[in-house]
Amino acid sequence: MLLNQFLFLAAVLFCIGVYGVLARRNAVLVLASIELMLNAVNINLVAFGAYRHNIAGQVFALFVITIAAAEVGVGLAIVVLIFRNRASIALDDADLMKG
Amino acid sequence: MLGFPVLTALIVLPAIGAALVVAIPRTRPEIVKVVALAVSVAVLVLACYGLYEFATGTAGFQFVSRHVWIKQWGISWHLGIDGISLFLVVLTALLFPFALAGSDAHHDVKAYTAWMLVLEAGCLGVFLALDLFLFFVFWEIVLVPMYFLIGGWGYEGRVYAALKFFIYTMTGSALMLVGILALVFIHAGHTGHLTFDLQTLAREQSFSGSTARWLFAAFAVSFAIKVPIFPLHTWLPDAHTEAPTAGSVILAGVLLKLGTYGFLRFGLYLFPKVSHDLAPLLLTLGVVGIIYGAIVAAVQRDLKRLIAYSSVAHLGFIILGTFALTTQGVQGGIIQMVNHGLSTGALFLLVGMIYERRHTREIADLGGLQKVAPVFAGVFMLVMLSSVGLPGLNGFVGEFLVLIGTFISRRWWAVVAATGVILAAVYLLWAYQRVFHGVPEGENLKFPELRWREGAVLAPVLALIVFLGVYPKPVLDRMEPSVRTLVERVDRQAGTHQPSVAQGGHR
Amino acid sequence: MLAAAGFHVPNLDYHALAPEIVVAATLAVVLVADLFLDDDNKWLLSNVSGWGLLVALFFTIELGARGHTASMVGGAYVVDDFALVLKGLFLVVGYIVLLMSANYVEEGDYYEGEFYFLILCSLLGMVVMSSARDLITIFVALETLSLPAYMLAGWRKRDLRSNEASLKYYLLGVLASAVMLYGMSLVFGFSGSTLLVDIGKATQGTITHAPLVTVGIFFIAVGFAFKVSAVPFHFWAPDTYEGAPTPVTAFLSVASKTGGFVALLQIIYIGFIGRSDVWGPMFWALAALTMTVGNLIALRQTNIVRLLAYSSIAQAGYILVPFAVAGSNTKSIHSAFTASVVYLLIYAAMNLGAFTVVIAVARKTRSGDIASFGGLYEYAPGLTVLMTVFLFSLAGIPPLAGAWAKIFVFRAVLDSGTSSAVALGIVAAVNAVIALFYYASVARVMWMSPVPDGDRTPIRIPATLQAALGLTVLVVVAIGIYPQLFAHLGDVASLVR
Repeated sequence: MLLNQFLFLAAVLFCIGVYGVLARRNAVLVLASIELMLNAVNINLVAFGAYRHNIAGQVFALFVITIAAAEVGVGLAIVVLIFRNRASIALDDADLMKG
Repeated sequence: MLGFPVLTALIVLPAIGAALVVAIPRTRPEIVKVVALAVSVAVLVLACYGLYEFATGTAGFQFVSRHVWIKQWGISWHLGIDGISLFLVVLTALLFPFALAGSDAHHDVKAYTAWMLVLEAGCLGVFLALDLFLFFVFWEIVLVPMYFLIGGWGYEGRVYAALKFFIYTMTGSALMLVGILALVFIHAGHTGHLTFDLQTLAREQSFSGSTARWLFAAFAVSFAIKVPIFPLHTWLPDAHTEAPTAGSVILAGVLLKLGTYGFLRFGLYLFPKVSHDLAPLLLTLGVVGIIYGAIVAAVQRDLKRLIAYSSVAHLGFIILGTFALTTQGVQGGIIQMVNHGLSTGALFLLVGMIYERRHTREIADLGGLQKVAPVFAGVFMLVMLSSVGLPGLNGFVGEFLVLIGTFISRRWWAVVAATGVILAAVYLLWAYQRVFHGVPEGENLKFPELRWREGAVLAPVLALIVFLGVYPKPVLDRMEPSVRTLVERVDRQAGTHQPSVAQGGHR
Repeated sequence: MLAAAGFHVPNLDYHALAPEIVVAATLAVVLVADLFLDDDNKWLLSNVSGWGLLVALFFTIELGARGHTASMVGGAYVVDDFALVLKGLFLVVGYIVLLMSANYVEEGDYYEGEFYFLILCSLLGMVVMSSARDLITIFVALETLSLPAYMLAGWRKRDLRSNEASLKYYLLGVLASAVMLYGMSLVFGFSGSTLLVDIGKATQGTITHAPLVTVGIFFIAVGFAFKVSAVPFHFWAPDTYEGAPTPVTAFLSVASKTGGFVALLQIIYIGFIGRSDVWGPMFWALAALTMTVGNLIALRQTNIVRLLAYSSIAQAGYILVPFAVAGSNTKSIHSAFTASVVYLLIYAAMNLGAFTVVIAVARKTRSGDIASFGGLYEYAPGLTVLMTVFLFSLAGIPPLAGAWAKIFVFRAVLDSGTSSAVALGIVAAVNAVIALFYYASVARVMWMSPVPDGDRTPIRIPATLQAALGLTVLVVVAIGIYPQLFAHLGDVASLVR
């Protein structure tokens, strides 16, 4: 079975996601990068589930998808809130507190 | 002996007193002092009762009271008194009413008095506890009121001094806690039962040489900070100078003795072999403390600071006596603890009185006080000579025994330490000369004489200074069996024998 | 059709699930009632939430007293002593947070109904977490407790700091979940099961594909390190704590952190107990760094909430110490596990107490500066004494509860007895002294500094805050003097075999 290829794809996606989180300065793009990481997880779970003939992997993936949607809902709400208050969603501007 | 739990009462009484003081409304500060004095005198009476009932000639613990506190950790409320702790308990019980009566807080009397009574409960607890955990709890309790007393009612640099005191002693405590826990758990690992009981732990010595050395070090550093032994002494001058008068009296009279007492009770008793092996190191530090304290005291310009450094020197003698590991040395050390408490406590009170009258402690600003206040000068002279160690006064007995005890086992340390006696005479007499001799000028002309009330407070201490100097036998008789047992235990474990002179002296 | 697919309705023990059901019902009632109540009657919601929690707590205690245990859905959801003790803790913490926030939310003109709803949601996640013994359940519980917390952190909608707190907490929380999930997917792939017990069997002894498990454990641990704000994954915590409303900060620093630790305890002690060679050194480094960095940065804080934030980071370090020393022998596994749980219980009481005092004082001073505590003793002696008790308990001075927490940790270290464990014990002891500096300096300001603005009017403390203070100080002092109270909590280490 083509397990390794799936795992490799997931790893690459995950790394791209991590890079996006670290390098992007726009809150929405950071959210999108986190989605990439979660999708990498889903690919892993489904691939392992199929390889192991265990349905739990796909169930887990479904949970991840559902909860990720809720997460993004909350995240976008927070971003909108900030945009209303300061008319910017650049993360570098959020530096009122330090130390 | 009666069934009345004397020792428990000794600790509980001041604690109740503190609660009572807190309960008194703020508008009635005059009752506060009455209640505090009544409670502390009651404690003194109890302590004297203990002294009276104490069976002379026995070595073991008396008045023992023991109740299980935390069963699965083997912790119990275990109190007891023997010849080593007896006089320290009496000294503590004596100095608290002395300090409370002898000086007043300049603001917020209620909180001040409550902290003093908590402090008394803590100090007595340390001297009475025979359970390592209980001991540690009281050891920590002592810190908190002292911190607030220095920080809340001290002089200009009080906040810095309080924090320095707190951090130094807490560092020691943290190490000691690790030491206690390690000791207990190693013991549990060997014997299978978990106990914090001092006697059980001492009886079933269950650790190897190098482990014991580390454990001893953990305890010793904590005690050494409290004493304080030479390189760890730097908190003491600050704390003493900045503390309120009563705080200084208690700090010098009682708190420093917690460290030296700790060495006897937990150092020598729990780790006899290591104590013997490391004695040269501690003796050396003790001697360095004696000489260093004396030299630094000599150049001080602040009278209170001078007395603070003299404490470093005096405590050096106590360490010397303790680690001479002979009966005379240890006895001398204990009696020196009592003496130092009496004479230095009285000196701090007198300096406090000078400060109240003149609002300065600078030696240079004072002079010729003998002419205007001869009685005050006389009292100061007597206390100071006791501190110097003049024969016929109590200080002599202690220093003499320490030097004899050390000379028997460790000759050269005793020889060097003896020069400390001369140095003490030099700096104290010189200070006396500058403050009291000469012609009074300016403000000093109006220096008020000793008042009756002040005299009445000082009188019992002066009487004890003379009595102990002339006739120390009752005290020595009561501590001798316990001390002898302790020293013999160290000798047996270390595989050495006391020189015949030391044995001949008492058999 | 379901039957044809081989689906069996799981056999649920509804009695054992009573606390969860009650909390869920309460939060539904609160959400619906909020729609029908006008603004003058919103205070009812806090009462309803409080009673809901008390009823849930009653069921928890009742289950514990009867020794009722249950294992459901093939072992994915377990009710045992450990779960019940922690459920009890979460419910009590939730109740105290409600007491703390009642006046705060009412007077601050916040959205009351939603506030209580979200607190209850988050608590539900925590209560579920105590019983979760399966990767999927743990993940769902973790998100249930985290998502409302992100929103609570930004509750002061028009305050930029609160927005920022929410954003930072959210981004790092979600990132942590993603990292943790990646680790979980690898572990699932290796063991072929999401049940912690099966994972534990699969990772025992010598195994093939060990690197896969190692990477999986590493990612999971990093994910939780974010959650419990362990150094070097801590940087969100101080900003979030400072920006969030103070009752929420108390909730995050106690309940949410405990939730993370509960998950970590279950995963490590059931799932990966055989791989202590992997996580032992990792937790060693995490614990040492967390204690040291947390304490050192706390030293130079001037804001009380930030100081408590760094102090709670350092405290997390002490809770991590037992993890680092657990692996050496069976005895140390037991005492390490107990030490972490006991520390969590005591930490909750003393930290909540300290935050309650901060809220009470801020009612008058409207400031978070440590300097604003100057001379507190002169006009609020009661609060000063309580704060001193909480601070000294956090510092670990006997006879307060915090001392026992540290003693349990040291016992775990000494039971392990390896030289690396002893080294960590020494790091912990040194840190206890460093921590004393800043705890004592707050006490110093309260007792010894003058009142900054000379305003000595006494502070009026609402009854709810008084109740919160009373409860927390009672626990701190009672456990300090008589730690055998723990003996009545049952064997929390039941989870470790």
